[in-house]
Amino acid sequence: MSTILLALPSKGRIQEEAIAVFDRVGLTISRPGGARSYLGAMAGMPDVTVRFLSASEIARELIRGSIDLGITGEDLIHETAEAGPAQVAVARRLGFGRADAVVAVPDSWIDVTTMEDLSDVAADFRARHGRWLRVATKFVNLTRRHFARHGIAEYRIVESLGATEAAPASGAADLVVDITSTGSTLKANGLRVLENGVMLQSEALLLVARNAPWTPEKRSTLNRLLAPLGAEPFE
Amino acid sequence: MTPAARRDALKGLVSAPGITFATPPILISPAPYFDLAGEQFGARMILTQGTDGTEFCLRPDFTLPIAMDHISSGAATPAAYGYLGPVFRQRAEGPAEFVQGGMELLALPDAGAALDRIIAFARAVLDLYGVVTPHMRVGDIDLFETLLAACDMPEVWRPRIRARFGHPEAMAALLDRLASPHGAPEGPAGMKLDDIIDWVGELMLSNGLSLTESRSPEEIARRYVEKQALEAAHVPAPTIALLRDYLAISGPAAEALAAIDRLARASALDLGDALAKAETRVAALQTGLAAGSLVFDAGFSPRLDYYTGLTFEVTGRRGEVLVSGGQYDRLLRRLGAARDIPAVGCAVWAERLDEEVAR
Repeated sequence: MSTILLALPSKGRIQEEAIAVFDRVGLTISRPGGARSYLGAMAGMPDVTVRFLSASEIARELIRGSIDLGITGEDLIHETAEAGPAQVAVARRLGFGRADAVVAVPDSWIDVTTMEDLSDVAADFRARHGRWLRVATKFVNLTRRHFARHGIAEYRIVESLGATEAAPASGAADLVVDITSTGSTLKANGLRVLENGVMLQSEALLLVARNAPWTPEKRSTLNRLLAPLGAEPFE
Repeated sequence: MTPAARRDALKGLVSAPGITFATPPILISPAPYFDLAGEQFGARMILTQGTDGTEFCLRPDFTLPIAMDHISSGAATPAAYGYLGPVFRQRAEGPAEFVQGGMELLALPDAGAALDRIIAFARAVLDLYGVVTPHMRVGDIDLFETLLAACDMPEVWRPRIRARFGHPEAMAALLDRLASPHGAPEGPAGMKLDDIIDWVGELMLSNGLSLTESRSPEEIARRYVEKQALEAAHVPAPTIALLRDYLAISGPAAEALAAIDRLARASALDLGDALAKAETRVAALQTGLAAGSLVFDAGFSPRLDYYTGLTFEVTGRRGEVLVSGGQYDRLLRRLGAARDIPAVGCAVWAERLDEEVAR
């Protein structure tokens, strides 16, 4: 078997840009089942099967090795599993889908400008308010790691799967860890990014799954696909 | 001896006469762990949820369930507990189950005798697994707290420094910041406290924030003013140098403790009897465990603030921890007891000891 499975994001701008990456080098991706189909084909390379999945699913399946390569956000690779980055090889950084994962507090917290301030606030929050400081985020793992690096343990995560920036106003959390490209959504919600609150600068990546069952035949297909893209060959 | 016979002998040690063999359930509530350590443990626990949304975790250690049980049966009653069984923690390579054994001595009137008993237990376990002259790393929390209390610095900084003990990166970052203080923070500088409170309140309301659910305008304004005072409250450079020097001390126990003594004398610090007590504890450990090498590391401490005097670990040939233990007099109070209660214990990692025999 020499066929490899390539997964691309199934929605939005990142999907268009991902398809364009291949289009630019003459590897046009068609969708025989129509634009709503989750299956695609690459006329120039029939031994590449294309599948459209959600970006977070792509991250998970790349780490597990159940797809061979794919395009997804760097933040999702870090978030899906602590050891996630070690399970994938970066074939190429793609330069689009740029976003920062940041720690943001209400602008009215004029005494909190750095993670060190946050550490002080967290340390006695519970004594003052009878509950833990709450951080709304969908990036549970990234948040835990970043906060641990700054020696902050005295908080609880409130998982938020959408509109995280509204959590302080709705009373669901005290501050947020969110993804932002321009910071305008955060600003519009009265939130301010801490000076050293950028946890990760993320962009879209073309990734090869190290855990996929790589036979010499599959590897050769993969490297034939990667070469015209100017991507790192997979050893 | 076969591995099974060794495991049986270990069970014998933790359930000897006079020791209550504790068997807390495997599926427990994670709330006490979060209560004690926030998200510190969160990443390590294996969590699951009941159909009604109740959270459970697989027991990540024995100490906490034992301590909680102890409190409900009278915190100040002296008791010795032993345990042996699986604990569950997340590892880099996926979730894992380990067999842990150990002993916890709670509320014993003579702390020195209790420590000796824990040392004797650890030695008996090492004998069982043929670890003749173990490698050890030791720290002393009481000694650091005494040094910190004796240092010349504005009072406001002491708890902030204490909170970072055991976390070298956060401690280094704080000491760096203290060495080169920031200017005054931006914002309504120069206003009176009441005006700042109003100013913050206005901003919160215009951003749609409740004035009562999270940090209040008054709390924020007070800390803002306090922070200005903090930035103005400079920690003297010699104190920062002293703390850095102290935290860097690590080496054979006699040399390290002598270095601490020299450092204290050179800075004219009065450590009272804390150094002598630390020396006694370390000597008891070194002799009692017949340590082949013992490194006293001044900055070594668990991250959790309920640990008190001595803390130690025995490492195997590949550097992995075989036995770890120490004193944790603040735990029972943190769990609801009326005051600090002497507590000392140690945990042993059965599989790693098995491997140590095999090597």
